[in-house]
Amino acid sequence: MTTEIAPRDVTPPPLQAPTAKEKKYDRQLRLWAASGQRALEDSHVLLIVGDEYQGSNSSVAGVEALKNLVLPSVGSFTIADSAQVTVSDLGVNFFLDSDSLHKSRAEETRRLLSELNPDVTGHAITTPLAEWLPVEGSLKPYNLIIACAPIPSEILQRICFYALQSSIPAIYVQSAGFYASFSIQLPSAFPIVDTHPDPESTQDLRLLAPWPELDAAVDSLGDISSLPDHDHGHIPYILILLYFLREWKANHNGNSPSTFKEKTEFRDLVRSRARVDNPEGGEENFDEACAAVLKSITPPPIDSGCKEMMAMHLCTSLSSDSANFWVIANAIKQFYETHGVLPLPGSLPDMKATSAEYIKLQSLYKAKARSDVAEVTTTVRHTESLLSRETTIPESEIEAFCRNASHVRVLTNPAHEPFPSLRLGSGDHKTISRIASLLENDWEALLPVFVGLNARANPSSPLDVTALTSDPELLETLTKATAEVERVSGGELHNISSVIGGMVAQEAIKLLTRQYVPVDGTCVFDGIRSKSGVYKI
Amino acid sequence: MPRDQYARQSLGSTYRLVKESRVLLVGAGGIGCELLKNLVLTGFGEIHIIDLDTIDLSNLNRQFLFRQEHIKKPKALVAKEVAQKFNPGVKLIAHHANIKDRQFNLEWFAGFNIVFNALDNMDARRHVNKMCLAVDVPLIESGTTGFKGQVQVIKKDKTACYDCTAKTTPISYPVCTIRSTPSQPIHCIVWAKSYLLPELFGVSEDEPTELDHSGDTDNVEEIEKLRQEAQALKKIRESMGSDDFAKHVFDKVFKEDIERLVNMEDMWKDKKPPEPLSYETLEQEASSINSSIKLDGQRIWSPAENFIVFKDSLSRLSHRLAEEQSKASKTAQPLPTITFDKDDDDTMDFVAATGNLRAIIFGIETKSSFDIKQMAGNIIPAIATTNAMVAGLCVMQAFKVLRGEFTRTRWLWLWNGSLRTDQLEKPNPECPVCSVAMGRVHVDLEKATLNDLVQDVLRTRLGYGEELTVLTDAGIVYDPDLEDNLEKKLTDLDIEDASFILVKDEEDDNPRIDLRLAIEAKKPTDQSKPVALVEKEGETLDIPRRPTKEDAPNGGDVDGDDANGSVVTNGFSIAPPTVKRKRDLVDDDAASGTPAKKLQGPVAAEVAKNSALNAIVIDEDDGTLLIADDD
Repeated sequence: MTTEIAPRDVTPPPLQAPTAKEKKYDRQLRLWAASGQRALEDSHVLLIVGDEYQGSNSSVAGVEALKNLVLPSVGSFTIADSAQVTVSDLGVNFFLDSDSLHKSRAEETRRLLSELNPDVTGHAITTPLAEWLPVEGSLKPYNLIIACAPIPSEILQRICFYALQSSIPAIYVQSAGFYASFSIQLPSAFPIVDTHPDPESTQDLRLLAPWPELDAAVDSLGDISSLPDHDHGHIPYILILLYFLREWKANHNGNSPSTFKEKTEFRDLVRSRARVDNPEGGEENFDEACAAVLKSITPPPIDSGCKEMMAMHLCTSLSSDSANFWVIANAIKQFYETHGVLPLPGSLPDMKATSAEYIKLQSLYKAKARSDVAEVTTTVRHTESLLSRETTIPESEIEAFCRNASHVRVLTNPAHEPFPSLRLGSGDHKTISRIASLLENDWEALLPVFVGLNARANPSSPLDVTALTSDPELLETLTKATAEVERVSGGELHNISSVIGGMVAQEAIKLLTRQYVPVDGTCVFDGIRSKSGVYKI
Repeated sequence: MPRDQYARQSLGSTYRLVKESRVLLVGAGGIGCELLKNLVLTGFGEIHIIDLDTIDLSNLNRQFLFRQEHIKKPKALVAKEVAQKFNPGVKLIAHHANIKDRQFNLEWFAGFNIVFNALDNMDARRHVNKMCLAVDVPLIESGTTGFKGQVQVIKKDKTACYDCTAKTTPISYPVCTIRSTPSQPIHCIVWAKSYLLPELFGVSEDEPTELDHSGDTDNVEEIEKLRQEAQALKKIRESMGSDDFAKHVFDKVFKEDIERLVNMEDMWKDKKPPEPLSYETLEQEASSINSSIKLDGQRIWSPAENFIVFKDSLSRLSHRLAEEQSKASKTAQPLPTITFDKDDDDTMDFVAATGNLRAIIFGIETKSSFDIKQMAGNIIPAIATTNAMVAGLCVMQAFKVLRGEFTRTRWLWLWNGSLRTDQLEKPNPECPVCSVAMGRVHVDLEKATLNDLVQDVLRTRLGYGEELTVLTDAGIVYDPDLEDNLEKKLTDLDIEDASFILVKDEEDDNPRIDLRLAIEAKKPTDQSKPVALVEKEGETLDIPRRPTKEDAPNGGDVDGDDANGSVVTNGFSIAPPTVKRKRDLVDDDAASGTPAKKLQGPVAAEVAKNSALNAIVIDEDDGTLLIADDD
């Protein structure tokens, strides 16, 4: 066998610097990573502006939202707007210039938005909604619809229905004067794996449910009181806690400390065993152990969101065309039922220890996490073959799910409810009584803003605000909010639309990347008081 | 329908205030671009925009006034040019300059109705805060990081200022941790960025702020060794450009220096000693790597890959430096250097590779270059959506500020998309910046001596006694035991235009609170006096006495409600009947107790009615957030 030795002074291979794209989007990749960016770039967002003119028809809010999606590079966008640009549009919409006057507003805003980012493709639909929307397949290209109020009921109905049927989210935006609001209509189930929980809350050390290998690591410590000072001062705090938990249990009928009082007593026990006769007068690893008692001596975590997920019909009864998410969720459920815990995330915090000890402990956690993933994967593969599914779920997807299992969330819209504005416009009794009851506990007093924005949603039958409350003071607030909306007659204030456009885009990014937890319901913004609130109407 | 129809309709009488206002926007980055758009479209009359930065590729994902073709051009100028098109009726003035330049003195600041801070660093924020307080111009301070953001209104004597709460200072590391005993990835990255890179390509005399020398005296011997090491590295630097430069550098920092450390056995009693690397071994490993590898930033590189990147980036940097130096020598400019920039691939690759090689030596986990960029560059995530929201909220606050409704301005937080509102805090009576009395002096810098200031202004005009101390940024320039400086010119004491001095009353009996005097180079009208106190007509500078312990709680004299026509604060006392104030309309409203009655529609009533609800304060455990928009 000959070993090939390269000649000396070999020229280093040409390096591929980070692509221009990676550099351009660097600051946002830090929020949603390459996977989120890919999802964003695969999206096509439709912005619909209503045909009946009422001021600027919330079109500025819609265009501002698009701006915030074009900049981070959404794949494509389409603006459907049959209006022609007026002088007042020029004064409030940044994406129109003086040359735009009397031209198609859809076409002109498309042109100026497209200038923002050459990576994004923009389209415009200039024919009235009533003409193009009913055409078969008209909404097919889009995976998110943003509709700008007001939109006539029958058209809005069609949009809501389509979105529910094809399981895509839709957003309804309203902006008039100082008031603005948006509602999100979710598909019947909207699962999110990467919810970006607070890193603190994701730590799972299994102190109360050690697996055999972790137990063996405690065994190998022997009697720690006989260890030399150096070794004693370098036992990783996790092992210290496990060691003393055994001692505690032996004296407490096999129970672990569970109440605050018991945990405090346990902490005192740990503290009392730290050596103080050394030059430092204490031991850092014991300090760490004491500090971790209250937080870490807890049963392995499982969020209520994850429990809800496991109870869902979609999780328990799989079919061959179940989404990947549910196939993995089902395997996680089986895992939980077998072991009483979720798969181990496997990460370990930094701690005082010798490098060798730390690495040993780290590999213990990592190995356990890997074996848990392997077990879930086996279940997934088994399910796949049972259901004779054609494609196999990528391992990385299973791994990501396992790592975040406790924090997975599924948002739902079980009753297939369309936007509250639409329900209110059609005089839906359930919606009216819901608003009435929400008004009773509306401490932030933002709901009147929503009522004001929607009181004339159906011009032929304006909302009777007296049906919402009998409280005269509240009634006056509702009437005033309604009058304020009427006063501005659909005219938008640029910075208010800019704020609400920012919020809408933020939620759109969450919906498109399926990361972070989006607003579930209606968000109301009152620019006069700079307050916002979220309601489930 | 006129262009400004909607704004007129919604804003009512406030629209006139908006149109007549003159505002300053400091920073044309993420928030700055959004704010400029909002200000232009809302119709603010005159907008000055200042930024010293140029446009970078990584700005384009949110700073929407900029395009590919604008890269490397000044932000302020491009922003003005682009934004102007969208409202020809607005007067826009751009300054490609540092806000701390002396040309932007107090008189200049005093010319604005509102200042907006859209900055990325604490230093400039503090400067603008101080300037605005000195001339009593309201400041709207804002910042974002990722999905989080905040807006804060700062008005002298009415709200807390930027410095009323202590801000966390950047982390620094003990020199020995960085140079001898690293234990975390960040230690290796700081070593690469703040030691190795500057030693090879920078001015090594510049001490990086990330190094903390406070523990040096405990380690005299080791510090001396480290100094020698740095000297030796400088020698190697002279061989830059030669074929074996890379090997020299490598052997020095990854082998010889490490071997020296290994020999210090005391250090490794508790730790695994580091293991030096061999250039030859790595070179051989590297040679077997396919030369077309793509080194992706998300993946963790192998030792050999780090080695390849080390050699390659070192050669790129060497060429660059040689080229720039030969250019500079022709024009007799100072010798150029290369400093770390997270968006400069050459320096970034070098730091990633050398940091990782060091990590391998010390048995520390290596990182991907994507992660290292975040750690070395203090990268703050930034996106358009948060900036858009924060900028829109700033303008909302500006309406209230223009109407003088400071009790209605709010402190706003964006927290992962949800908006939280809180009342602004009152000034901190202990705040070193805003709790002092403030005054301005016009100085004839050609003539004025310290004596003119101390005698004419402080003693004669303001009634100070013998016991007083005068301080500049550099320290004490006058106290009763230090009279040598009295005959010196102010300029000889580094008291220049746009600088500040602090006066402490040291009398035992009922002393005044501290006074900060702003120096402005302007010949006083009275030729015989080279230093003169600046007072607006009808106002007299009255420096309050230091509160004694008993009456301390009320000593702050915070005016919680605008309802009093005459406002006495710790600074100027304003005589109500004769004074012509800037915002008559507003103050009249406030005085009559019917706020903003001139506002059309039910808006004002809405505000009044809900004011009780506004009292619900959302408790924020986090207190002040230190938030920076990155560019």
